[in-house]
Amino acid sequence: MAQPVVQTIHRDPALFYWILLPITIVMILTGILRHYAMILLQSPPKKQPLPKLREARALMRGINLRNNNAVLSPSSFRARKAVTIQAFKEGAFLADPDAKGKPKGNPMTDPAMMEGMMGMMKGNVAMMVPQTLIMGWINAFFSGFVIMKLPFPLTPQFKSMLQSGVGTRDLDVRWVSSLSWYFLTLFGLQPVYNFILGSNNSASQMSQQMAQMPGAGPMGPEQDPDKLFNAEAENLEVVEHHWVLEGVEDRLLARWGM
Amino acid sequence: MSAELLYPPPQISPADSLRLSQQAPQVLKISVSSSLPYPLSLLTSSETPEIWTTIENLLLSCLRTGDDKSARVCLDRLTERFGETNEKILVLRGMYQEAFAEDNKALEKSLERYDKILEEDSTLMLVRKRRAALLKSMSRPTNAITTLVDLLDVSPTDVEAWAELSELYFAQSLYSQAIYCLEEVLLITPNAWSVHARLGEILYISSPSDSNSLKGLVESMRRFCRSIELCDDYLRGYYGLKVSTKRLLSELQTVSKSALSDPQNGDLAPPSVKTVEKLNEAATRKLAEIVRRSTAGEAGWEGFDPAEVHATRELVNKDTQTIDR
Repeated sequence: MAQPVVQTIHRDPALFYWILLPITIVMILTGILRHYAMILLQSPPKKQPLPKLREARALMRGINLRNNNAVLSPSSFRARKAVTIQAFKEGAFLADPDAKGKPKGNPMTDPAMMEGMMGMMKGNVAMMVPQTLIMGWINAFFSGFVIMKLPFPLTPQFKSMLQSGVGTRDLDVRWVSSLSWYFLTLFGLQPVYNFILGSNNSASQMSQQMAQMPGAGPMGPEQDPDKLFNAEAENLEVVEHHWVLEGVEDRLLARWGM
Repeated sequence: MSAELLYPPPQISPADSLRLSQQAPQVLKISVSSSLPYPLSLLTSSETPEIWTTIENLLLSCLRTGDDKSARVCLDRLTERFGETNEKILVLRGMYQEAFAEDNKALEKSLERYDKILEEDSTLMLVRKRRAALLKSMSRPTNAITTLVDLLDVSPTDVEAWAELSELYFAQSLYSQAIYCLEEVLLITPNAWSVHARLGEILYISSPSDSNSLKGLVESMRRFCRSIELCDDYLRGYYGLKVSTKRLLSELQTVSKSALSDPQNGDLAPPSVKTVEKLNEAATRKLAEIVRRSTAGEAGWEGFDPAEVHATRELVNKDTQTIDR
């Protein structure tokens, strides 16, 4: 008795051909188009000037010395440590020795910063414009259609997600409206793009947002290189040296069982 | 066929080079660009990064074997694809010009060309390295060393440049500088057993044959030990271990007992005579085994360099003869 009445809606099969398929195909095509647009819009990575390069690699060398100190003999390590620490503290490797100790200028005035932001703007615009257009297009042509029924039951919370644009309270959640189908494809097409364009594509919005996440990207505050060098010098000062060659002959003999 | 051209071995014998360069007609037959007009050609082209790597390696093989025409075709194709100003193309073009330079004057001209390129953009590390290599092949080692030192001042994390600089210093008998450079290499790649062994070799050669050479010899021996520890069956490591322990044994006997226990300057004390003897014994045994098995061509023992095996056989034979006497 308590069996709920199974809702049946007789849909015109043409709905499938004229709404479901077009939306899906359009979404896939825009993704592909966006991928190629992003490739066209990408500016090649800017070359670093020589002093900057020197600065970064000198720091890397210091880090290498700290991490791999075990390959050096104690006397050799001591000599290197002394030289490196002194050079780091004096700022011998700084790209801009005059700027030492001065506060960093406003990032907005830095042309390099502006370039990075331009790149991000381009990406966002390439994302937003087609999104708005397609959304408008779907709303104008296909709003208010119930186009398919999911083959599994769902809780009522999904109602707002699956039936946007269809204002009926009593409709079973399993019915999906055309606008909702648009949203589903918008977020769910990543595997399809991976299949078509290869895994390193920039077709989907989600992957774009993900890529901007780590380290706040180019917008993040750039650290003062002088501070980095000083910190590295301090790290080097406290490092405990162990020579990997110490007792190597005994280790070898033990391995051979002699 | 392309697999070998795609990943050629790091050290290539003349015979292999010839074989690779003879594949030129087949490789160059493959057309990557499509005949359709621009937007459609994107869809139909069969271009992959591997093709370009293959063509680049083919170019290098052709340069080695002096196949002028094929090299030209390879270079033109790469230039057409990547543009004149691409860093790698600049280098490959320079190599082509150097390889087919007829006299010293032509080499001077390539050198000038590199200088001009570097004047415009001094961040082109590949071109700078090429310049050093050219200077080396023109037997101007001092200039090559200066070039490399300048390069390493800007880019001190460049393993290749450090190793090359070490070899240049070594050729000039500037051993302590060569050792310093190799230590830099090790700081970047701490587990490179070949570098450990090379460092051992230089330490062995550089330590003078009088009595205060002990420290260098001991370190040399330990470097060889480390290289063997990192790589079993490393022929150069065992060879070095045998040679260094042999000399160390004779040195340890002449040195007084007090010098043995003194840890010099915080460095390690030399090992006991017994340990050195054991190491010498083990190295000799291993060397004999390698010679025997690789000469017999046993499975799993065929990768050794024939020249190195030959030298090892000489060493082992010489040693057994002295024992017989």
